[in-house]
Parts: sequence; structure tokens; C-alpha cells
Amino acid sequence: MAHSTHTLEKGAAKAAPAAAVYSIRRPRSATAKKMFPYLLVGPAVLYLLAITLYPGLFAMYQSLFVVKFVNWSWAGLGNYTRIIQDREFWAALANTAIIGGLSLSLQTIIAMTVAFYCYRDPFVRGWRIVFLMPMLFMPSAVAFIWKLAFNDGRVISDLLMSVGLVSNNVDWLSSVWLARLTLIVADVWQWTPFLFIIFVGALQGQDEEIEEAARLDGASWGSIFWNISLPMMRPIIVVAVTLRGIDITTMFTNVYIMTQGTPGGATETMSYFIYRQGFRMFNFGYASAASVLMLLITIVIAQTIVKRAFKSGKS
Amino acid sequence: MASILLKNVVKSFGSFVGVQDMNLDVVDEEFLVLLGPSGCGKTTTMRMIAGLEHPTEGEIRIGDALMNDIDARDRDVAMVFQGYALYPNMSIYENIRFPLRMRQVPKAKHDDLIRRAAEMVELGPFLDRKPGALSGGQRQRAALARAIVRQPQVFLMDEPLSNLDAKLRASMRVQIKHMQRELKVTTVYVTHDQIEAMTLADRIVIMNKGVIQQIGTPDDIYSNPANTFVAGFIGSPPMNLIAGTAQNGTFSSAGIRVPCPANLSGNITLGIRPEDCQIGGDNLQGQVYGVEPTGDITYLTVRTANKNIEIKAGREFRAPIDSAIAVGFDTSRLYFFGEDGYRVGVN
Ligand SMILES: Nc1ncnc2c1ncn2[C@@H]1O[C@H](COP(=O)(O)OP(=O)(O)O)[C@@H](O)[C@H]1O
Ligand SMILES: [Mg+2]
Repeated sequence: MAHSTHTLEKGAAKAAPAAAVYSIRRPRSATAKKMFPYLLVGPAVLYLLAITLYPGLFAMYQSLFVVKFVNWSWAGLGNYTRIIQDREFWAALANTAIIGGLSLSLQTIIAMTVAFYCYRDPFVRGWRIVFLMPMLFMPSAVAFIWKLAFNDGRVISDLLMSVGLVSNNVDWLSSVWLARLTLIVADVWQWTPFLFIIFVGALQGQDEEIEEAARLDGASWGSIFWNISLPMMRPIIVVAVTLRGIDITTMFTNVYIMTQGTPGGATETMSYFIYRQGFRMFNFGYASAASVLMLLITIVIAQTIVKRAFKSGKS
Repeated sequence: MASILLKNVVKSFGSFVGVQDMNLDVVDEEFLVLLGPSGCGKTTTMRMIAGLEHPTEGEIRIGDALMNDIDARDRDVAMVFQGYALYPNMSIYENIRFPLRMRQVPKAKHDDLIRRAAEMVELGPFLDRKPGALSGGQRQRAALARAIVRQPQVFLMDEPLSNLDAKLRASMRVQIKHMQRELKVTTVYVTHDQIEAMTLADRIVIMNKGVIQQIGTPDDIYSNPANTFVAGFIGSPPMNLIAGTAQNGTFSSAGIRVPCPANLSGNITLGIRPEDCQIGGDNLQGQVYGVEPTGDITYLTVRTANKNIEIKAGREFRAPIDSAIAVGFDTSRLYFFGEDGYRVGVN
């Protein structure tokens, strides 16, 4: 008892000087207080501006010139009018839409299906870790793995032959759709986990009591999913798929490593087209104009989708 | 419409036993209330009847059919959850319609059934709203409407009123009772509130630590508590329980003397309800500890050497603190409990 009183007094004695120290500290001025948060985020903002805004503005500026290394000659909107008549540009746009669209749809469906089957599984944490793995690989490493599996190492062909689906080695780059398929498979393999993690998280967060209520109302797991889970997840789905979609429209690594746009440009995506114009043919102004166009297209599409999804979700 | 039978039902969670060897027979059309303190296994019992939880041992029957291996969705049971569990993305109309859709009730009948159910709980004007746009009481009624719309064999309600304010709770209580009488559906209702239990139940099941303490009508439970747990749980304030000794037909404790059956002896607990005491008399001598006027009644606490005794005095009663006071008991309403807590000396 006596002991505890003693420590109490000691604590009180300590507290007094601490308070004094605090009051001695010079009070900050109002502006200094206001500036402090900006100071904290400043470095990050500068860094982001340096790697996004500056190159972006530079590309916009450059897109108004015909650039041959150091020779810049003013072209106005000349690059843009040429691009609009360029068949290769439109082909690249279509390829991006086809490959990206198929890949994104597949990823969404697979991720949702797997999430649906395992979100109330007792081992769901384990599943999450297992499915997360592909995402942790370096994208270029993944591209090389699939290049090996499809083309150089013929692993996939051998597998298909051993189950009797094909009789000869498949030359994946010989046909438009097979070549596109290899890109889709690689992208689906690596990025479905991204959507899966988000979907399974949303499903796990769903109120279990609501599922039980629906069970007692006579709903099967399938109808619970369609009638209750899916509508509730709508905003999450829209955001996740939009993010993934934006990422897919800039698909480059896999194309560069696996197909290089073959056969006959059938797998040339927008990013690869821009790369080819800029760094193979050195049409910097032209490539810049293409990137600006692509940026505009992406923004318009993403905005429309998100706006529409959230508007109809509210009513 | 159906009876419910629980036979030697046990539910364990690992080594912890949530419900122990429960035997319960709910009669067709009965309103049965499970009453007990928090954590005593009420919800677990109800969830086993619903099929949301599987009994570790024992049988559960609805009607004559064994339910142990029947999935929750095939039991034809409707449940009202404590948190209402309305579907947030659907309007109230669609919420009430959901069980009809899931059970393939012909579409042509839907509108009629939904409006009738909504009418019963006075929810008519809110059918187009989403649950998020309703008050607690309205959500509660929406959950009720969803449960009654398909006329199930059994209603289960898990503390459905506990999230409402006192006034609303009282009016919903009457509404639920009226509705149950009208629909004649066997109902199991869980609560920890004894007033709800007393007012609603045909029969009350009192539980403690996973074990049934007593089953009986509200009157029965009030007038003939089987043990000290039940005696101390029912009534507000509950029965005074006073430890003492019995000898030669007299029970005595510090400041207390009452006659008791001659066959009692040794350590005995006396039970006396606050409403069976009156000021003036020779059973209890003590000091006034507290006086709490409430308007229609005055609660008086009397201190004795061992224990504080609660008494309901008349509305005019006032007394200074620490003044000496004498209290008389209605000796026809004394209860005696043995050392095991169970009732003794009943003829
Ligand atoms: N899924 C579970 N796992 C472990 N213990 C549980 C589980 N469900 C309930 N319990 C325990 O069983 C006991 C009874 O719970 P419950 O039936 O919910 O009580 P109540 O009477 O308050 O409704 C509690 O002690 C609770 O902690
Ligand atoms: Mg409970």
C-alpha cells in the first residue's frame, strides 16, 4: 500500500516539469501549421509530377512537331491528321480492345467464380495466399515464362499432344487468334489474382446474418450471390475492373517479349505501336501524338463507365 | 403450423458446452419464450431449430419430421434476426417479396400477399424505400413482414426488440403478440428481458449456462419458482433471497424471523418478493438505506446485518435515511430453498 502511494507521488512530480517543457515550446504560427501537411506530402508530389505530369506535358508539346532527333519542325495538328488516316493505328486500337476486352472479361469471370466458391471456406486465407502468387512475379519474368511455355520450350504443345488434343507441334505465332490467345493466357494468369483478392475480400466482408436470412427465405447459394452479393459489390466491381482495364490498355511487356506484334501486326497493341513509332522508327512527334490520343480515349471510356455505374447504382 | 421437439440436444463448441442435454416440447400454435442472461445458449438453441447450427447430439423435430439432416432452407422456418438482416440493395417491397420468389410462389399472388403482410405491421407507406431510409422500428416491422409473408410452419425471433427504444418496444410487443394469435403460427422467441417474456409467452423456458432451469406459464414461473436462479431472475426488482437457518418451525437470519414449515432445518435460503412486504410488522428489523420514489410506487431498501432487502412501499412512503424500520412479510407467500438452490418445504 505504502509502496503504491510512493510511486504515485513520484509520477506526479515527474508530470509537472514535463508540462512545463511543453508550454515553453514556441507556439507555431497559423500559416506554419497550415503548411506542415503540404511539407509532408511535398516530396511524394514532386516525385509524381516529375515522372507523370512532366513527361505528359512534354509528350503533348512534342506531339505538335515533326521530330527528327534534335530537329523539331512545327507541324500543328499534322501528326494527328496523319494518325487518323493510319491503318496501323486503328489496327492497334482494335487489337488492344480485342485482347484487352477478352482478357479482362475472362479475368473478371474467373476471379468472381473462384471468390464465390471459397469465400466461406475455412481455408480462405490459404487460398488467398496461393492465388496471390502470380501477382508477385516480375511482369517481364512472367512474359519469359510464357514465351518459353508457348513458343521456345513448347511445353504447352507437348502437354496438348500428350492428352491427344493436337497431333503436331502448335506454332502459336502462325495464327492471329492463337497468338492473341497466348497474350490473353499470360495476362489472365498474372492478373486474375488482383481481382480475386478484391472480390473475395468484399464477399468475406458481407454480413453473414444476411446470408443466413436469405438461406431461411429459401435461397440457394447461387441465388444469394446473384440477388444479394453481386448488387452489393457493384461499386467495388466497377472500380476494380476499371483499374484493371486501364492497366490492360497499356499492355506492353508481354507483347514486347512474347509476340512483338506478330503475326502481321495482329498482336500489336497501342503501347507497342507507340513504342515502334518512337523507338524503332524514331518518329517521336508521331508517337507522342498517338500516346496523347490513347490517353484521351482511356479517360473518356473510364469516366463514362464509372459515372454510369455509380449513377444507376444509387437510384 | 407444427410442433417442435428437442430431445437430448447438446451443442458443444470445442470443449465448451453451449447447450446441455436439452429437452423441449413446443406445442402447435404455442408462443414459447426462451429467457435467460446473455450467453446462456438461447441463440444457439434457436439457431439449431433454424438449421443454421448443427446439434452435436440429440434430435430436433418439426411436426413429426426429423430435422437433423435437413438444410436450413428446406425447414420452412422464418426467422427475425436481432440486427434485422434486411437486404440493403432491395426496396422494402422486394425484401418482403424475396421469400416468395425463392420458394416459387406463383407471381400473380405476390402483390396481394406482400400488401397484406405490410398491412399487418403497418408498413404500407414505406414499401418503395430501401432499408437504409427507414427508422429502427420500421426496419423491425419490415423484418417481421418478410417473416410472415409466406406463412411458415415456425417463427423464430431472436431478441427482435432489443434495438428499439422503450416506448416503441412496448407497442411492438403488443403488435407481435396480436399478430401471432391471428396467424396461429408456432413461435419461439428469445429474450433476456423478463417483462417481454412475461407479457408475450404462453410458456417460458428459463435457461442458465446452457441448462434449462424451469419451464412453465408466466404465472407459474412467478408464483412457483423452482430454484433460486429463477426466483432471482423474475420480477423487478427480483425476489429477495436471504441466507439463514431453519429450526423448529422458525427461519431466522440477522434481523429477520419468520415461521417456516416444521420439517425444515439447517441452512436455508428464504425468498420474499418486494411486493409481498409491508411497512410495519415484526418479521424484519433494519435501517432505511435508500428511498426511491417513482410516482406510482416507492422503492425502499432496508439494510440488515447480512443483506439489503428491497421492498415496494406505497406511493406516499417517505423515511429519513438510517432511521430504524420494521417490516412485515405476507407469510403465505414465503419461499424456502435448500442448499442446492432448489425449492423445499412445499406441501
Ligand atoms: N460459434 C461459436 N463458437 C464458440 N462459442 C460459441 C459460438 N456460438 C456461441 N458460442 C458460445 O455459446 C454460448 C451461448 O451463446 P448464445 O447462444 O449466443 O447465448 P445467448 O443466450 O446470449 O443468445 C456463449 O458463451 C457463446 O460464447
Ligand atoms: Mg443471443
